[in-house]
Order: sequence, then C-alpha cells, then structure tokens
Amino acid sequence: MAGKIFIALDRLTLVLDKLSEKIDLWIPASLQTNNRELTGFVRRHAGMVAILDRQSTLPPKKILLPQVETLLRFEHRKDPQDPLKVSVSLDDKSEVRPALVFGAHPCDVRAFLTLDRVFTNGPYVDPYYLERRRNTLFATLVCLQEDAACFCSSVGSGPADTEGSDFRIIPVDGGYVVEALTQKAQSLLDSLGDAPTQHQEAQAMQVVEEVAKRRVGDLDLTGSAEAFRKRFEQNDYWQEMAAQCLSCGVCTHVCPTCYCFTITDEIENLRGERLRSWDSCMFYQYSLEASGHNPRPSKLNRYRNRVGHKFSYIPKKYDGLIGCSGCGRCIRSCPVSIDIRQIVGRLKENACESK
Amino acid sequence: MIETDTMQLHKLVEEALPELDTMIGWAAGEDPLHTRPIFIRSAESIPRLIWSPFCAQNLTGYLVKPPALQPADKNKQIGICVKGCDSRSLVALIQEKFVTRDRLRIFGIPCRGTVDWRKVMRQVRLSYVKSARVEDNRLIVDDAGGSHNFDLEDVLTRKCLRCIHPNPVVYDVMVGEPTVSRIKPEDLYRDVDALEKRPLEERLAFWQAELDRCMRCYACRNACPLCVCQERCIAETRDPKWLTQRMGIPEKFLFHFIHAMHLAGRCTECGECERVCPMEIPVTLMKEKLNKIMEEMLGYVAGLDPTAIPPLLTFNPGETGV
Repeated sequence: MAGKIFIALDRLTLVLDKLSEKIDLWIPASLQTNNRELTGFVRRHAGMVAILDRQSTLPPKKILLPQVETLLRFEHRKDPQDPLKVSVSLDDKSEVRPALVFGAHPCDVRAFLTLDRVFTNGPYVDPYYLERRRNTLFATLVCLQEDAACFCSSVGSGPADTEGSDFRIIPVDGGYVVEALTQKAQSLLDSLGDAPTQHQEAQAMQVVEEVAKRRVGDLDLTGSAEAFRKRFEQNDYWQEMAAQCLSCGVCTHVCPTCYCFTITDEIENLRGERLRSWDSCMFYQYSLEASGHNPRPSKLNRYRNRVGHKFSYIPKKYDGLIGCSGCGRCIRSCPVSIDIRQIVGRLKENACESK
Repeated sequence: MIETDTMQLHKLVEEALPELDTMIGWAAGEDPLHTRPIFIRSAESIPRLIWSPFCAQNLTGYLVKPPALQPADKNKQIGICVKGCDSRSLVALIQEKFVTRDRLRIFGIPCRGTVDWRKVMRQVRLSYVKSARVEDNRLIVDDAGGSHNFDLEDVLTRKCLRCIHPNPVVYDVMVGEPTVSRIKPEDLYRDVDALEKRPLEERLAFWQAELDRCMRCYACRNACPLCVCQERCIAETRDPKWLTQRMGIPEKFLFHFIHAMHLAGRCTECGECERVCPMEIPVTLMKEKLNKIMEEMLGYVAGLDPTAIPPLLTFNPGETGV
C-alpha cells in the first residue's frame, strides 16, 4: 500500500506498543499524576497513554538538544613512579539510537529548522546534534488545537505544515490516518495497521485541506528585522518592553527554538565530565565575561537579545528564516504575561521617529 | 463590586499621581484570565489599571529586583497596589530595609482570592477566552466553546484557599471594603499537615517526583520579592561554584531547599514561587513547613509588624525557643 494506515483510537496504545519494539519512541504524555494539562515528551514505556488532543506544555526540543548532555569524560592519572607527571585520558563515546517522535505539532517540528541551521549547516557542524538528528523521525499531527496564543502562520508555517516531518498524523472520525512522507518512514509503517478505507482517506484529505487554509495568528513580520536594527539602541523602548520581565528563564526553557547553551567542566577530584547545558539569555550569567564585564548587564539588554535573535539575527544570517515557530508557549507560560507578538509588532510603530 | 473598586482605584491614583514617580498596578493581560504588571507615569494610562480576581502577580518585587524602581525626584513616591498577601511582602521588605516606608504610597486592596488559570484549564480546556468574571462564589468564563461556570473554591489559587490575611496589613489608602478570611487560623497549615501525615518514604517519593520536573528556570526565585541575592545566587555563581549544571534531583533539591532555608521566617507565603512555576511544583509548601516551625518554636509570623526583627536576622543569646 502507498504508505498510509488507519489507527483506530482504541488501537492506538497497541500500535505504540508495537512501535516501541522497533524504535525508541517518544510521545507527549502527562508529567504529573492526574494532570492532563501538564505534558511533555517522554520516552514511552509499555501502556503509557499519548496525549494528542493538545499542544504539549514542553516542546520535544530536548530529544535533539538535551537540557544537559555529556560531551566527554576525562580523567587525570598520576604516574605512580613520578606523581608530578600527570596524563589525561578522554572518553567521548556516546550512543545514539534510532528514535521516533510521535505526535509532535507542526510548530514543534518546524522549530528544528532553526536548530538544524545552527548546528549542522557549517562552518562548524555539531556532531552530537547531527547524530541524533539523522537518527530521529518525526510523526507530526495535523493541528486542530490552535488557541489564542498560537501564531504559526505568522512565521511562515501553519497548522498543516509538514516541513521536517517523516509522517503526518491526520485526525479523522474514530482514529488517525498516518501517512508516511519520507522513504525512511515507509518501512516503519509495515504491519502496524490496515490501510484506511476510501471514506477515511477522503476524510483525511478533507481535514488536511481545511486545516491548510487556516491562518493562525496575524502578526505581520515584513520589515520587522530592519525595524529591530533601527530600534536596537533605543533604550527607552526596551526599558518599557522589558519593564515587567522577571528575568526568569521560563520563556527560553519552554521555547522550541532557543538553543543557547553553556559548557562547564564538572570535576570531582581527578575525574570529571564536560557538560553542555541549556543557557538562557534572560540570566545575568549568560553573557558575563571572565573579566567580570557583562555586555548585557540589565534585563532590557537581555530581553532585547531574545527578540533580536529570533526576529532579526537569525533571519539575517539564514536567508530570512524566522527563529520562532509561533507555538505561543512563551506567551502562555510567562508569569507576567509578556506577549512577544506585541513587542515584535510594536517594533515597526514609528520606528524612524526617534532616530 | 469589583468594577466599583477599579473605579475607586482610578480616582485615588488620579489624585495621588502628581506626588508619584511611578504607579505600579495591574492591567489586562493576553486574555481575560491573565493580568500583567503596568507602570504608570502619566494620567492617560490610569484607565488601563484594573483590579480583579485575576490580578495574581505580587508587584512588590519590582521595588527591589534590578533595576529597582527609584524615584528620579527625591520628593516623589512610588505608588503600588497590594493585596493582603502582597502587603506582607512589603512589611518584610521594610523590616529588612530594602524599601523605605515613607517613599511608598500603598494602595491596599482587600482580596477575596485570585483565580489560578491552570486550575480552570484542568477542568475545561478553554480556547480564545472572551470574558471572565466572578459572581458570588462562581467563576464565569466565555470562550470559543460557549459559557462555562466554575465553583470558585475549585479554581482559586492554593494560597488563597488558606489565606488568613485577605486585608492589607500596611497601606496608605484602602480600595474597597475589608473582607473576611476563608479559613479558620488553625487550618493555616493544613496542606503541610496533610503531607506530614504521610510516611517518610512517601514524602520522599512525593518530593522526588515533583522536583524531577524542575527545569531550573529559576522563575520561583526571580518572582520571589524576598529572594534578594540576585546574580550572586548560589544556583548560578561560577566562583564559588556550588551546583553543577546536571539536571539530577540532588541539584534541584539543593537549589530549592537553599531557597526555602533562606526564606525561613522571612517568607510571607505570597505564593509567587508556586504561581510562576511552569512545571506546577508546589514549591511554597517547603516554605510553609519552615514557617510552621518558626511559629511553633519562636512564635514568629513573618510580614505583619514592620518594626519586628525576623528571628534569623538577629542573635539572641537568651533564645528559649530552640
């Protein structure tokens, strides 16, 4: 059959069980007992229920860019004959297994386009990210769950976007039609289910067609990158925009495209690990230099960086790609209701006035 | 009643504004279930000020967190809206000399409880919220799916369900009528008591499961008006280095318990740390436990008397409580 199966709702768990036997399977699931509202991607174990009827609280970013990962382990060895002589041994072994992310939303998968450009496009290629990227497949939902914070269409995506996806999961009556979009995906579908009926297939096509027509969000980003550059030095503007910001890392930690990291050596006696972990431009330490100088000393500088990075620096560097996938998580999770759409939208208001 | 209070607030702020450098209050947020802090410097912005059961944020942190608000004109004051709980944070900040009482114009607002939007969403997954209001003991929300009606008790923030100081303890002007507590004072620590009744292993498992979700985003720390170490916080300093960047429970445990220990007898249980946590970890519970100990051993309750000295900020050789 041409790469499509139907999974009835009551067979979903069974199908996921079968898939887990073939590949490391990640699904959106509850992170707290009795709370279906707090969800994130977890490595599935048998019987675990996938929550597919809403966007997950946390994106699947950590699957390709873990919050903390060991880049290498090191050990200093003293020569027993001559303790002043110390040798260092390094071990950078890492194991990457094939994985499937089932039930991500288009915004989550599209977000990896930004990470791909940064980590795999050169001149410096990140082998850790690349290895995971090559070994991970994405089964993406056709999104029926937009809410008031979503704005995926504003960043060049949309609720039926399949960019970066290996499968498309289309909700239809009584279940899902799952369609393979890439060669790699095809073989995984074998023996997982029957082909959809003609009626199901027609309905799936109709769903995709209707969802693809939807415009989610009305933020107009034309000229925003330039407007940002003009605004860059207007401290009054950024002071006002960042006044309520708490400088916490919620927005960057729930963001599917924030990729800034720090590298630390965690040493205990003669051995240790070199770790790469998420950093956040909201934090004072983010750009603190060894001299003690901090080029982004206040929250206005740091907040400006987050806006500029996504809506000006990345577009400039990567052929107009927006470094934001419009998922709306930073808006939903911000403790003080900062709405990045308003701040980006206002960039263009009388931008020339004060400069 | 809420509308009348907002109108009264507008009037009072309008009268006071010439003597104020900045007025800190709440404005509408991205949807009717949310509000956002607003900093008012001109009369045109006053109509944006609101008071409602959705005004969740404790605004007192803006007085101390960098860049702390300082009047450019030394003769002017900073105006600030406080609920009962927020006013206790102010008392603690005054005690510790982070703010000077006479530099503040405090607009105290009696509060009947604030709505926890996450609790609302757990009951009904709302989308495109159009309006939200509290009538008597019901929350009524209109969204794309129609009208929804909730029992207020089911959607109030946990701290509000155990609040015994709904009226501001320090203020210059009061907005609206004083209200009464929802609970009896002896029930104040019922959430801690319930947890304490569970066996040690269960409590350990509870905290391990809860803290496992922590992302170390430090929202709890940054929203806390009394967490004042700023960039010197042990969670992040490189020199000395106390915590690794690992995401294990030991790291998270250490951070949260140092946060809690630093607030022993200082925390006024305003609940900001818990409200802002994107992972819904009940972090205020730790501070409640410590406050319970402070009350039992030293007879001290934080954030009530601006002239009192918190027990851990002083040394008494004749200490009898411990």
